[in-house]
Amino acid sequence: MASLRNAFKSNKAHRERHQPEARAHLGFLEKKKDYRERARDFNEKKGALKGLHKRALNKNPDEFYFHMIRSRMEEGEHVETPKEEECTPEQLKLMQTQDLKYIAHKRLVESKKIDKLQAQLHLVDAEKPNNHVFFVDTKEEAKNLNVAERLQTHPSLLSRKSNRPRLEDLKKMDLSKILNDETTENVAEERMKSYRQLEKRIAREKQLMVAQQKMEMKKMLRAKSCKPPVRIAPGTKSTPPIYKWKHERKR
Amino acid sequence: MGFPAFSPRGGGGRGAGGRGGSRGGFGGDRGGFGDRGGGRGRGGFGDRGGFGGRGRGGGGSRGRGGFGDRGGRGRGGRGGGGRGGMGGGKKVFVEPHRHAGVFIARGKEDALVTKNMAIGDSVYGEKRIAVEEEGTEKIEYRVWNPFRSKLAAAILGGVDQIHMPPGSKVLYLGAASGTTVSHVSDIVGPEGLVYAVEFSHRSGRDLINVAKKRTNIIPIIEDARHPHKYRMLIGMVDTIFADVAQPDQARIVALNAQYFLKNGGHFVISIKANCIDSTAAPEAVFAGEVKKMQAEKMKPIEQLTLEPYERDHAVVVGIYRPPVTKK
Repeated sequence: MASLRNAFKSNKAHRERHQPEARAHLGFLEKKKDYRERARDFNEKKGALKGLHKRALNKNPDEFYFHMIRSRMEEGEHVETPKEEECTPEQLKLMQTQDLKYIAHKRLVESKKIDKLQAQLHLVDAEKPNNHVFFVDTKEEAKNLNVAERLQTHPSLLSRKSNRPRLEDLKKMDLSKILNDETTENVAEERMKSYRQLEKRIAREKQLMVAQQKMEMKKMLRAKSCKPPVRIAPGTKSTPPIYKWKHERKR
Repeated sequence: MGFPAFSPRGGGGRGAGGRGGSRGGFGGDRGGFGDRGGGRGRGGFGDRGGFGGRGRGGGGSRGRGGFGDRGGRGRGGRGGGGRGGMGGGKKVFVEPHRHAGVFIARGKEDALVTKNMAIGDSVYGEKRIAVEEEGTEKIEYRVWNPFRSKLAAAILGGVDQIHMPPGSKVLYLGAASGTTVSHVSDIVGPEGLVYAVEFSHRSGRDLINVAKKRTNIIPIIEDARHPHKYRMLIGMVDTIFADVAQPDQARIVALNAQYFLKNGGHFVISIKANCIDSTAAPEAVFAGEVKKMQAEKMKPIEQLTLEPYERDHAVVVGIYRPPVTKK
């Protein structure tokens, strides 16, 4: 019995007095265990500071560290140079929320629509960077070549490569039917709309293609091969990364 | 440009309005590509209003917002009572081109066209445009894509002469499936003739199908290197057009010219620099080909590169055995 009693005795929690209410304005009453915690923390910090001091004193300012490639000092502060982003936020969103097949499908749809639009938008009035050579017999002829005369058209039409009617046809042409101000304006507006649409679709298809290629690359990198591929070029916002695999002959 | 625009599920948070909107968007889209309907039959332009109507019914303009740049449709706004149609409804006008038989259609499209000889028929799925002039019947045009046809690219690039006036006889080497051939047949018209030579049986099959509906095309499935094999089928021609993309292209054209091209007849040759010599600079290749032609009594008159439609391509137009001019 006695042993049991003794055991109970030792189990009794030792309670220390806490700060009485009357002295509450003096703040928290520190006990030994609190002091020990505070002291350990203080010493740890002191040690760390000491270590840093020591390192700073030991530092060789002429020494090279690889980290220096991607960081620099600015007014005594160490600054990391920001890495160029590999993906635009839109691409990232697309790649994280949609799967590869869906993106491939959407891209196909988009390219079909581009084809369809391009089949009827022929850049008729666009500036054409082509060159046009006329062959003549003598140097003299070459010197005296009058292009408008050679093409039998009006000189003001020379820059209009897509259609330079001949002078005789111009005389016969009845433009009053065609050149109705309202009609031409409306039609031009419609046309511009079509071109804008085509432009947007081309840009969108490009973005989808980049996203698709990046995802395909990721998928291939996940696949197991005996030797990891070597990265030849990192990805950019408009191109996927380039990796080179070791060629393995399949049996 | 918002990426969510091309995920139909993208606007999930929009609730009921969003769903309505997306249907509207699809409706608009159909309308936008009324050319599909137009390709099948009557007036591609008339239908559009009808389809557009469906799109409008679908949902409020807010719901369609996300899809606005998909369909690219101003449809909703227009039908919704903004301007009330565009001045009398003339949506396309056709401008005659420098070369007889070729036109430029300006409307929602911006396209090179030829007058369709076989009305109601598309050869390779190209769009057709029906235009009604006052007092005359409907005229149907077929769109001629310069991104696919070298001749069309040359015409839009501003070539001086194609030497294929209505009523002329043309020998077309390298006819392939007959897409460009069909347009040449439109240009020369029922009075003219197009002899289309193609070696490959597979594309020759398509060519024959084209010729079935166009009586002025004579398909010849033979190697253009051996003109003696088809000499009995062809009379003298006014012009040879060649798009054979072979390293010995100049020789092939010269051989055919010897057999079939009249003196003072013309040739139009499309040259793909890569096919002749992929290592040399394109300009050098073109110059070399011109030299070869000159050696074969083919006198070049003009040369035109095909940017922006094709890269490193040129079209050379010239005359064969020109009549001697007295000085």
